[in-house]
Amino acid sequence: MQASRARLFKEYKEVQREKSADPDIQLVCDDSNIFKWTALIKGPSETPFDGGVFQLAFAVPEQYPLQPPQVRFLTKIFHPNVHFKTGEICLDILKNAWSPAWTLQSVCRAIIALMAHPEPDSPLNCDSGNLLRSGDVRGYQSMARMYTRLAASPKKG
Amino acid sequence: MQQHSDIRDAEAHKLPFLGDKAPALPFPLSICFVSSLLLPNSSLSLQEPLSALAAEYQSGSPILLQKIKLLSDQYAAIRRTRGDGNCFFRSFMFAYLEHILQTQDRTEVDRVKLNVEECRKTLQSLGYADFTFEDFFALFLEQLDNALQGNDDSISHEELVTRSRDQSVSDYIVMFFRFVTSGEIRKRSAFFEPFILGLTNATVEQFCKSSVEPMGEESDHVHITALSDALGVPIRVVYLDRSSCDTGEVAVNHHDFVPASDGNPAKVAEGTTKPFVTLLYRPGHYDILYPK
Repeated sequence: MQASRARLFKEYKEVQREKSADPDIQLVCDDSNIFKWTALIKGPSETPFDGGVFQLAFAVPEQYPLQPPQVRFLTKIFHPNVHFKTGEICLDILKNAWSPAWTLQSVCRAIIALMAHPEPDSPLNCDSGNLLRSGDVRGYQSMARMYTRLAASPKKG
Repeated sequence: MQQHSDIRDAEAHKLPFLGDKAPALPFPLSICFVSSLLLPNSSLSLQEPLSALAAEYQSGSPILLQKIKLLSDQYAAIRRTRGDGNCFFRSFMFAYLEHILQTQDRTEVDRVKLNVEECRKTLQSLGYADFTFEDFFALFLEQLDNALQGNDDSISHEELVTRSRDQSVSDYIVMFFRFVTSGEIRKRSAFFEPFILGLTNATVEQFCKSSVEPMGEESDHVHITALSDALGVPIRVVYLDRSSCDTGEVAVNHHDFVPASDGNPAKVAEGTTKPFVTLLYRPGHYDILYPK
């Protein structure tokens, strides 16, 4: 508990210090609870998520950083490795490939990389995965782009 | 796969991170003694003699039984570690710190600290942020200092056992070794690459990310070589498997991992001819062996 708090505090300071270093990620700690974080990440360019801003919720366990944070999308997203209803993410580093060398910030980068490089063979969203597996890239992209417009685009005006 | 690891976890948790040191009993064993060791739950709380190993293989390969008998000529006791994928690092942790505690070898502590500082620089130069690994380094250095007697925070052998069973200490030190191992492999990636290609299809970086740094990933000779080299600590691994010599004569093989000194003898611990850390390897698992 003490160790995880100390580590998170260091990450917090690092995030403050490096605020402008990664313009695609905005990581914010909850005002009253250092174990709760949210992030806003920009959809990578040349993907159907381009132009969208996606919100992630982090729940950090007491055994952090020996145990990975739990991360899910709060913003609806059509992606083979993200559960369409719960926002749960299927990513090895959030499960058995986790190590304390990762940080909340680098997890965000890994999620952006996952958005650009979906792994349709281990789908949490089967509809999305099946489109890619059957080679219907166009179908996948137009569905994903539609949800980016509907759910992840900043409201105008 | 998930089910497999669940079963492994459940099995592994029957044993504390570190078992008790158990004296060897004279061979041959009477069958009735062997069967008494097979009582349920005996694996956890009872002091285990080296011969408990024989009990495990009682109805198994005669080669193994012969080898265990040979082992008992040279080794007095065994201490088991939990089979949770971290057993190599955990065995090394305890065997090394116990050696420091028993020998009070300050020269060795000073020597290993210099190598730990090198490891820190290695990680920094590889681009690891300090805050990702410094807590793990600090805890290991603290254990080293605590093992030396004469300070207010010096610890007893009993306390070392307690700490090694305490997840918040034990897992952090295992993780320290994982960082050190990963840094060494990546620093000398040209050297390790062919060995890694022999094990998996991964690049050096992928291997470190997937098979060295995550907790619970099992160790292979690549990990042992790297850790031994990085810290300059020789490690003897005694192999208990079914292999036998062509001549039909049974012998127990061992391999000494002797660290490269890079032309600087001060980098390596003394005792390269007889390493003070001795581990018993059975396919998939490491425990600690105590020479007579």
